[in-house]
Amino acid sequence: MISGASAIVVYLGVLAYAASRDLELAPVIGIVGGIGAVLLLFVIVRRAEDVLAWSILMLGVAYSLSLVTHRRGVDEVSPLVAGGLLLAAELATWSCGERRQIRVERRVRLARAVAVALLVVGGIGVSALVLALAAAPVGGGLGWTILGAASAVGVIGLATRLAR
Amino acid sequence: MTRFDSPRIVAYAGLAAFALVAGLVAGRVELVALAAPFALASVIGASLVRDPAVEATLELDRDRALEGDLVPLAIGLASPGGVDRVELLLTVPDELVVEGGHARALALAGSRKLDVSLRCARWGAFAVGPVRLRASDRLGFHSWEARAGARQPLRVYPSVETMRTLLAPLDTQAFIGNQLSRAKGDGIEFADIREWAPGDRVRSINWRATARRGELHVNQQHPERNTDVVLFLDTFADVRSGMHGTLDLTVRAAASLAHRYLQRKDRVGVVSFGGFASWLLPSSGTRQLYRIVDSLLQMDIVLTFAAKGLDILPPRTLPPKALVLALTPLLDPRSAAALLDLRARGFDLVVIEVSPLPFVDSGGDELARLAYRLWRLSRESLRLRYEYAGVPVVEWRDGEPLDVVLEEVTAFRRYARPARA
Repeated sequence: MISGASAIVVYLGVLAYAASRDLELAPVIGIVGGIGAVLLLFVIVRRAEDVLAWSILMLGVAYSLSLVTHRRGVDEVSPLVAGGLLLAAELATWSCGERRQIRVERRVRLARAVAVALLVVGGIGVSALVLALAAAPVGGGLGWTILGAASAVGVIGLATRLAR
Repeated sequence: MTRFDSPRIVAYAGLAAFALVAGLVAGRVELVALAAPFALASVIGASLVRDPAVEATLELDRDRALEGDLVPLAIGLASPGGVDRVELLLTVPDELVVEGGHARALALAGSRKLDVSLRCARWGAFAVGPVRLRASDRLGFHSWEARAGARQPLRVYPSVETMRTLLAPLDTQAFIGNQLSRAKGDGIEFADIREWAPGDRVRSINWRATARRGELHVNQQHPERNTDVVLFLDTFADVRSGMHGTLDLTVRAAASLAHRYLQRKDRVGVVSFGGFASWLLPSSGTRQLYRIVDSLLQMDIVLTFAAKGLDILPPRTLPPKALVLALTPLLDPRSAAALLDLRARGFDLVVIEVSPLPFVDSGGDELARLAYRLWRLSRESLRLRYEYAGVPVVEWRDGEPLDVVLEEVTAFRRYARPARA
């Protein structure tokens, strides 16, 4: 219950930030993110963990819209946005896994809370590292583009393998 | 253990891939930054695969209990490498209640013993276990499910009511017991005085009567004999409401009566007359009590449309001069016919009506109420049939002491002694 409510709060917080970046586009971002919020609510209420990715994707798309239309340098808050998305997803999953009938020991809850916190902090750290590397004056060129494309293909390959 | 992977590992990898491609296409590094935590989470998730190999054992404190008892159960859990979270669900029948909930989630490091208590809400023969286990890693990316622990048998005996009085039979048997026989012979209780006859012992001479009448007179006593009691259980139908029903009351009454009569050194037998007939020949002693209680635990309602008569029972199950205590909800005409047949054969029959009325809704609309009244009238007419045949019928409801019911029968017999068949 608490984790589900927290997931929605975090989700709405990220959505509010995305909408506030470009007030002209705020209604569109609000609609896209709102659909995602409804999906998240559905995930939590119906314990439909399969739908969770779509909810996060909607919020990611909403944030991306603000990034694409608002081309004024790099958004330095994006690691926190990424961390917020991951936190919302983890809290929603936690909420799906809990049952009122199951009596959970306090230390089990605490261990999971610590694990989620570490994962989110680690994610924010990696995300910040990506931003920092992108800002580093290492130049550009075809090599970097190929490396980026190779990374993307690698991640897609990993996703495909996991999906099997 | 069977492994299940959370769909979010794939979802996170997919989201990361999508964000990376979108970042490349749009040329925005923020999208790559968005992808990074999800890529990290999916890699961590994929690396957490380790079978915890959880094992569980069940150990019941005892395998026999009375209704309402608390039976301690020890659940032993072991995992060589430990598990961050183990959910366990104890499989128990509805009649057993696990105190504090039957599902728990706990951390397991090595081995651990968990003590729970089972409350026996209803009599019966049950099996406790196995335990359903679900072990998962700390973030819930992977889970392993298994059933563990051997099933533990648990017999829950019906609670026995304390009874001060018992129904005296019309006839006693030949063996020594605690029931005062109506016949005259050797015993303790004084019965009568008669003239001396050859063979009478000198110590039985009543000297006062002899001096007064001028001829030898001797005392006569009522001998102490045992009785044969047959508990006739009508298992054709059961009216239930939640966890309680007429069959429960029948079994509880039968256990109480058997316990009390056997304490009095009488021979007790059981005839279950329903979907299938079963019987236990009359006998005495503690072993017979265990036999009866064990047979009572097997009582159940089996639906059948076959017309059954008493002919299907072996003659020895209903010994001559036996007191037959029939426990019936008066719902099935087949049992009514069988009981009237018993009376016609000259058995000392008493019908204890286990009332189904507390378990029946009298109906909401007028038609249902009319049907309810008609049903009660038909029951009343059946009772009258028994009474015309000289069979006492007493109604027993849940919560009433059995003593009161038996006292009613005694009162009935004072005024309506059944004629010999």
